[in-house]
Amino acid sequence: MSQPTSQHDLHQTTPRKRRWVASIFLVLLVLLGATAIAIYTGIYNVAADVPHSQPVYWLFEMVRYRSVWARAHDLVVPNDLDDAGRISRGAGQYAEMCSVCHLAPGMKRTEVSRGLYPRAPELRRGTDLSTAEEFWILKHGVKMTGMPAWGPTHNDDLLWDIVAFLQKLPELTPDQYQALVKNAPGHDQMMKGIEDGQMDHHH
Amino acid sequence: MRNPILMTLVGFLAVFADGAPQSIAHEEHHAECNESAINALKADIQAMRAGEAKMRATKEMNMAQQMMAKNDMEGCKSHIHSAMEATEE
Repeated sequence: MSQPTSQHDLHQTTPRKRRWVASIFLVLLVLLGATAIAIYTGIYNVAADVPHSQPVYWLFEMVRYRSVWARAHDLVVPNDLDDAGRISRGAGQYAEMCSVCHLAPGMKRTEVSRGLYPRAPELRRGTDLSTAEEFWILKHGVKMTGMPAWGPTHNDDLLWDIVAFLQKLPELTPDQYQALVKNAPGHDQMMKGIEDGQMDHHH
Repeated sequence: MRNPILMTLVGFLAVFADGAPQSIAHEEHHAECNESAINALKADIQAMRAGEAKMRATKEMNMAQQMMAKNDMEGCKSHIHSAMEATEE
């Protein structure tokens, strides 16, 4: 039969618990101190021409992936992303704003694409992102990757046009890509349309 | 009777026209064996989607690093070149 907990037992467990708490606190303090020293001395190389170690790269990728997923998974995707007009407008925007980093069919790597770290994904090879995630990244950008937020300068409709084009991009040949871009409305023309729309709205 | 000069010219044009898009899409590799080249390659490989090409590129890069450690620069260049090819697949 078990004996009821005596006063003596209580006196024995309490110092043991205290020692545990003190040990954990000490370990945390040492870790915090080591981190502070590492940051202050600049031990971590932030140069873009020296890649992260694989665990650090994995950590950043995972943080980015989960963050985008958490914010994009309930976005409502338009059901007309296969519309030829959307794809055409998206092609014009893509050629102007995205291709310098993300490249395009038949395009050689650029100085920018070779220098970015992390590398901008070559979107002609497709992505693992959902359409909603692509839209979210286009609109909000991604910190510390070189990916700008296009939301402040482009309306949602125009950004969905680019997403529509992205669905088509992996299956395009260089000639088809060139033809699409050639026939697309110009970037400046579309931007003017947005500005005019905003002015009309203000009036 | 067909003109042989004209036929040769047409033949040349056909071959050139067929090869042109490929030469645009395919990167010309100038493989060097040094720390910068290895780092650039590592960054390229990190950005690749998981799959057979990524595994091959990683393997070639590791072999290039081993060759570099042994001061076998030609072997290193050869593996860097192969890794670059794999990153483009």
